[in-house]
Amino acid sequence: MDEIFIAEAGATARRWSGIDIPNETARQMAADLLKLIADFEALRGGLGFEDEPADFEAALRDCKEPG
Amino acid sequence: MSAALSAADDLATLSLAEAADALARGEVTSLALTEACLARIRRHDKALNSVIWLDEAAALEAAGAADRRRARGEALGPLHGIPMAHKDMYYQAGKPCSCGSAIRRDFRPAYTATVISRLEAAGALTMGGLNMAEFAQNPTGHNRHFGDCQNPWAQGRITGGSSSGSGVAVAAGFSFMALGSDTGGSIRLPASACGVTGLKPTQTRISRHGVMPLSFSCDNVGPLTRTARDCARVMAVLAGHDPKDPTSAREPVPDYEAALDGDLRGLRVGVPQEWFLEEVDADVLRAFEMSLGVLRGRGATVVPVRLAMMREVLTYGAIVSRTEAASIHANWMRDRPGDFAAHISGRLFPGYAVPATYYLEALSRRGPVLRGFARAAFGAVDLLATPAIPCALPSLAETDIDGGDPAALQRFAAVSRNTRPFNYLGLPAISIPCGFDDRGAPVGLQLAGRPFAEARVMQAADAFQRDTDWHSLRPKLA
Repeated sequence: MDEIFIAEAGATARRWSGIDIPNETARQMAADLLKLIADFEALRGGLGFEDEPADFEAALRDCKEPG
Repeated sequence: MSAALSAADDLATLSLAEAADALARGEVTSLALTEACLARIRRHDKALNSVIWLDEAAALEAAGAADRRRARGEALGPLHGIPMAHKDMYYQAGKPCSCGSAIRRDFRPAYTATVISRLEAAGALTMGGLNMAEFAQNPTGHNRHFGDCQNPWAQGRITGGSSSGSGVAVAAGFSFMALGSDTGGSIRLPASACGVTGLKPTQTRISRHGVMPLSFSCDNVGPLTRTARDCARVMAVLAGHDPKDPTSAREPVPDYEAALDGDLRGLRVGVPQEWFLEEVDADVLRAFEMSLGVLRGRGATVVPVRLAMMREVLTYGAIVSRTEAASIHANWMRDRPGDFAAHISGRLFPGYAVPATYYLEALSRRGPVLRGFARAAFGAVDLLATPAIPCALPSLAETDIDGGDPAALQRFAAVSRNTRPFNYLGLPAISIPCGFDDRGAPVGLQLAGRPFAEARVMQAADAFQRDTDWHSLRPKLA
């Protein structure tokens, strides 16, 4: 596991939320964030300037069965 | 009463629709149905551990009152006199609501969930609260505080979670229907693992007022039942806008049961060429392929379909619910982290290290990703078919993260591999029993449709159940 990254994640959680790493499972799960970061990097540039969360409800309606 | 309805055990294992129809014809009473369910719970739940609390006196009183109303000829709802128990996260004023946790073990809400009020207005009565993963946060059903539920079909295997008790109670004949909730598969997974039918509706289709939150964006309320027809009957009661939940959709609610005509001619069913079949065990694949044959036999055309946006679905979907759950649980994670099971606090923790910009990107891309996915998938087919759980059902020990086995985490994630994508996409999806794996545990077929296409999803599921009997089989209980 990337101990430096886990320590950074722990510091972020501590500083912003006042929450400490609770156990070994949390350390393993925090290490998995590295893959998530890589996955996000691969998608960079996809977010449109006008995209916003409320569009999802409109998309649900738009994608209904025709008729 | 017909000979077929003479034994209490038979009564408890009727489908909901059969029980409701027998009540309407005067062939059985609500009291008899309720006593039959309670007797089975008393006899078998010590081994299965699906019930957290039970109010037998209130259930029997409500059943008697239901019978008296029927005898007086009053106007009755479609679920009049049907006894039920639900995942223990639906608020009922003054009743226990543990959320499967130590932290809320003594919680008694002051108000009642809209879905409970709707069920009761339709005549259903509530017997108690069912076991579940702690705060609905695992796909296996492990629960450190109330004990793990046991699979009624296969000793020692997971029940699926998080609505573990709901799957077990419906399979074991304890309840004619049980509400579950589904944020990453928590209705469809126990439905698959316990051999029952479970529907995750379209995001926003059913009110979440008075329901324990896990993820504002991805939580869904839905039924676990014995048949697709049962699902349709219950959905007619549950679906529709609720002023107390402004996020609930104003889309009209169709006559779901009228859509169950058994005719799949012209229906195009797509088998995804990405993700969903990439890690399927051979015995599960065998059951899945046989299921496709059944759909073909009813007139459906089954074709391969290419999916779009799957990388986006998986990446963005991985972040929304975990970040929202972390936010919801922040106070308890600060003040009493030791009161969570280790795998629950462990899963919550990374959410505090994810930047808000990532979270908002994931939420903001949801509409465009859904449009792209739907254009590719539903431009070519009407429904998608996949195995609900792609692997042969693992054991409780094999997926016990708190037990220290490093491989447990991967097995744990594999269970919900095929259900999670439809939560980010917000699409309706059902799991119906379609066979057994090589170790004797049920296998589920997942069918997913366009937004608000619950009627079509249930129509296909019902047609499948007309030609198969997997949903009619009952586990032999000790």
